[in-house]
Amino acid sequence: MPAGLDHLKHIVVLMMENRSFDHMLGALKARDPRIDGLTGNETNPDTQGEPAKAQPLAEFQSQLDPDPDHHFPAVDLQIFNEDNSNPRVASMQGFVKSYFNQQRDVNHSHKIMYYFPPEKLPVLTTLATEFAVFNRWFASIPGPTVCNRAFAHYGTSFGQVSMDIFYVKEPYKSIYERMIASPPHTAKIYYYDQASSTIEIVNLLQNQPQLFATYDQFLVDCKQGTLPDYSFVEPNYTDHDTGSGEELASDQHPDHNVQAGEVFIASVYNAIKQNDDLWQSTALLIAYDEHGGIFDHVVPPACMPDGFKASPNDTLTGREFDFDRLGVRVPAVLVSPWVPKGTVVDGRVFEHASIPNTVTKYFLGDYNPRSPREANSETFLDLLSLDVMRTDCPDFNVG
Amino acid sequence: MAVILVPKPPKEAMNPDRPISTLLRAQLLHLHEVEKNLPSRLRTKTYVHAIKTERQAADYIRQVTENVFKAHGGDAPAKRKRRAKKPPAPAAPSDQGGSQAQGEAEPGAGPEVSRNP
Repeated sequence: MPAGLDHLKHIVVLMMENRSFDHMLGALKARDPRIDGLTGNETNPDTQGEPAKAQPLAEFQSQLDPDPDHHFPAVDLQIFNEDNSNPRVASMQGFVKSYFNQQRDVNHSHKIMYYFPPEKLPVLTTLATEFAVFNRWFASIPGPTVCNRAFAHYGTSFGQVSMDIFYVKEPYKSIYERMIASPPHTAKIYYYDQASSTIEIVNLLQNQPQLFATYDQFLVDCKQGTLPDYSFVEPNYTDHDTGSGEELASDQHPDHNVQAGEVFIASVYNAIKQNDDLWQSTALLIAYDEHGGIFDHVVPPACMPDGFKASPNDTLTGREFDFDRLGVRVPAVLVSPWVPKGTVVDGRVFEHASIPNTVTKYFLGDYNPRSPREANSETFLDLLSLDVMRTDCPDFNVG
Repeated sequence: MAVILVPKPPKEAMNPDRPISTLLRAQLLHLHEVEKNLPSRLRTKTYVHAIKTERQAADYIRQVTENVFKAHGGDAPAKRKRRAKKPPAPAAPSDQGGSQAQGEAEPGAGPEVSRNP
């Protein structure tokens, strides 16, 4: 076993909102051709048949307004571009058409192709190039937030493909319930504050609020070395006032400010790194829940069916969905001083079910029952492969 | 080791009057469903479909989240109080937004943090 795994005591997952891989990290291909990003020649046809080109013109705010549609039918259009052949051909050519549907403005629809130059995202791009970046981490479902985050918590969405309420079905349990049912293992969801709360409301917050703590508590637990075995961190989902000031949304969901999310990612990283014992015993995964309707050039692959089916009434596409294809690719970065600098994870497909699978296998070993998707997903702790801990890891200074 | 400077967002990034997204709409509806299962004394009686802005949404989210904890016999995890900036000039920007404050804060440096229930 590599020394990094010998030292590993904590896994922390920070899940951000609604940005595609190419949008956030695609420009890194120019620096490192191993990263499957953008060449600059990618296009999508607009509604007048003209090519809309991927360009490094993404802005922190006020550009993707209205929020690009990322519900199941819209993502179907983005991936398949209305192809009805049998079998259907996924082309990733329908993003501009999909965004046009919201404002009926051809020029505005081109903005769905825009991506960030690396220098505008110093935190995420530094972490991606200093540690491990995943070339093939996909959302679990070609759809919106709630069902995708469910895969990170349960390894399945129990048949849900939308933002509607879903209910946990036996025999599958959340990763948190698995952990606390196996003492001395511990797990916690850190939401930002009460006014932001969590997206995992109906099943976990309602019934087991003891699983939750605030982000302030996360900072305290990092400093005091009292972090649980597994931590899931949620960013701030709303701009809101508190008795002591203003809280800026940090989830990077359009149209929230992307820089605020960068500051938040840096905050999580710094909190772990500033405690030496914690730093050497923690793996931090930063992943985005889904692509938010924003362009990515990689076709989502087929995958192990989930054992659930979504009816045509649920998908709103006229087609049944067997949970046998992943969603659009999202940014994912694994951080640990035991990860070799500049690791690019290629040739392996990850999705959000990889999260409970990895945590379960590491802390609990053989555990059943788990969803077919989770049981067949990749795990990522083998990336902590160094025998000697790095001492060259960057620091972030929020200026 | 490299020290990477992370720029703060501008003050005008803050817009609590922004119309709520589909994500926040869903969060409100899920909380509303949970609220139906709370004791009547802990229900806000809010008509969630009238909530239009992030500020309004955040207020409702906070109330229901706190009430869920109360229903389980505890208090919601407390928000850490911030240290006052100095000098506290009323016209000066006292806070550039929550995320920036997080970035500046020393982990655990604030007082009066209650433990998770």
